[in-house]
Amino acid sequence: MDDEDFEDLFAEAEMLEGSSQESLTEQLADVDVIGRIEDVFERVVNAVLHEDELSLTLNRRPRAVQQGVPHINHRNGKLRFPGTTAEEAWRFTVVIRILELMHEALRTGVVISKRDIYYRDPALFGSQAHVDRYVDDIAYTFSVPRASLNVVAAAKGLLAGAVSFCRRDGSMCCASSDRDGMLVPSLRELLSCDMSKVKWILVIEKEATFRSIAASSFWDMIAADGIIMTGKGYPDIATRAMLRFMGTASPQNGFAAPPVYALVDLDPDGLAIMSVYNYGSVALAHESAELRVPGLMWLGLRRENMLVDDEPVHTSQGLLSLTAGDRRKAMKMLERCDDLEMRSALQSMLMMNTKAELQILDSIPDGMTNLLRPGLGYS
Amino acid sequence: MSSKQYLQTHTLPPDPSAPSADVFSLATTPSHLLVASGHSSIKVYSTRGQTIHPDSAEDEHPYPLVQTLEKAHPLGAHHICASIDGRVAASGGFGGEVRVWELSQDSSSGEETWVKRGDILPPKTKKEREAQNASGESWALALSENGQYLAASTHDGKVNVYDTTTFSKGPTAERITQYETKGSFALSVDLSPDGNMTASGHQNGSVYIFSNTTRRLIHSLTGLLKPVRTLKFSPLNRYLAAAGDARIIALYDTKSGEQIANLSGHASWVMSLDWNWSGEFLVSGGYDGKVKIWSVERRECVATQTESEKCLWAVKWLAKGAATRSESFVTAGGEGTLAFYREAAGT
Repeated sequence: MDDEDFEDLFAEAEMLEGSSQESLTEQLADVDVIGRIEDVFERVVNAVLHEDELSLTLNRRPRAVQQGVPHINHRNGKLRFPGTTAEEAWRFTVVIRILELMHEALRTGVVISKRDIYYRDPALFGSQAHVDRYVDDIAYTFSVPRASLNVVAAAKGLLAGAVSFCRRDGSMCCASSDRDGMLVPSLRELLSCDMSKVKWILVIEKEATFRSIAASSFWDMIAADGIIMTGKGYPDIATRAMLRFMGTASPQNGFAAPPVYALVDLDPDGLAIMSVYNYGSVALAHESAELRVPGLMWLGLRRENMLVDDEPVHTSQGLLSLTAGDRRKAMKMLERCDDLEMRSALQSMLMMNTKAELQILDSIPDGMTNLLRPGLGYS
Repeated sequence: MSSKQYLQTHTLPPDPSAPSADVFSLATTPSHLLVASGHSSIKVYSTRGQTIHPDSAEDEHPYPLVQTLEKAHPLGAHHICASIDGRVAASGGFGGEVRVWELSQDSSSGEETWVKRGDILPPKTKKEREAQNASGESWALALSENGQYLAASTHDGKVNVYDTTTFSKGPTAERITQYETKGSFALSVDLSPDGNMTASGHQNGSVYIFSNTTRRLIHSLTGLLKPVRTLKFSPLNRYLAAAGDARIIALYDTKSGEQIANLSGHASWVMSLDWNWSGEFLVSGGYDGKVKIWSVERRECVATQTESEKCLWAVKWLAKGAATRSESFVTAGGEGTLAFYREAAGT
């Protein structure tokens, strides 16, 4: 691939950014990034077929800004295979492998962390630092934010509650010690977890709701019995793996299989997030079996929670009209979804043209407690 | 006589093949009840001429299933409507497509069945969208008296009127006019029985009446401020009833555009309403599962039924057959059940 091709890609990206419809741009950008990764692959394949030299150009990010002048010469990362040195061949391979993982993540709608990428092929990557560098260079080359490639910097999930973990180095850590929650630990660092006190696990879509529950007096009552967890939106693999680990009986978790509940927005994204925890992604079925929580139960928000009596609540921020993007997304989900309960929820959401966000529970006195108390089995 | 009594005379359970599917919309003709649900097929029940005695079991199947329109809408159907003469119907699916049906009579047996007349598909490409000046998918539907004209509202607040007799001439029905509004989602639409007016109800609470003769806006009606989920012209075209999240039913005079009454009493959003044949009564269904019957003359609620805990998406009066002396109506919603009510004798 030569530099001119990249010029074309940049022009394309600019056209997209100029588009006014936000959600549309988002969708197009996804498709576009996938297309561009595929273009790279296609060129490599063509080069193989024609027995040309394999090469790709990677734009390095401007490193240091010296005296306010950005580094101008940043179009210098031409990688060849097999190249002139073993290192060049390795670098080419690393970039192709990362592109492949990004492509997979984009196609299947999965969010991966840089750590996830590293662990997919530690022998190749050698160190986390290499992965970090090339991920950011690839994002820079495509001139998209890293998030558009479905890659996050690190595990982002939080959990709190009555579980403690035993690490491989023998140290223990207890999720109940920090009220603000702890970062979801990587399964690779763990030997086992103690779930003996856990009667339920609640996985929450949003960090704000996680924090509002963790700060509530109701949490003081129930914190000794369960675990709350959040993947902060679409969960990364580490968060899903941890939920699966805690919720599925195994020798490492003391054969605990507590019920797992989901608390998500009543909107297409909320239902899609629940579906990622529950079913994983259809296209990635062979991998996601290890990440699925098949028994996941839908605690809320349900359409019954939209039924609010007093006028001020109705007009408050919790209930919103669906956007054109929401409707498109719901329709796409209906095309793929076999789960009858989910289909029914999507259809009635489209009928109502109304979505409900978890914040609605904060605008009703005791709204959250009244949902959680019966939902988690407290009288 | 301060109130009326309605008895539940019959229920039909949810479709066993899709037990969790909501029934979203109902249409009635002089002989049929058409049911659109989250399921891909549309069910047709006969309503012809049964007398129902709640105290006897003489008619156990007063509303037999007479036809299933298989795979009509793969993602489920959200709206269905029928012409007053009962010869044409139209259904809208969650994929944005509309299918027009007609009643066809078998020449030898005389048996009447519904067959597809044609489809109106949403534009697939940007070019098509621009050509049609529409974001695409049709939403609420209404047919004229003889089914020639179909009004279909859209997400971006337009109302497209199609001539359903033109399917044979091209790939789809010809659009004869398009009413534009300020772009708020048109949740509900209706055509007046005399064919002269089109009305649309919007997410932002607006209600518009257009003249089909001049193709101009004649009234912009205010007063609801919240999503208008249902609206209907009275049988003699004199009134328009509109309702939704404001929890009241607003009655407008279609000539003057004045709001002549507010029917209040629903504690929840009003999802559906229908005039009886004479225009004396309205039936309305709420998000909280309550059904109310209103006397239009007295401007008050004369009966309330609690049909379900779940949302009632649709309520409809049944055609008053020769053998049915009293008024009856049917309700459907989140339970997937069809519940039939009849006015109790002697009230």
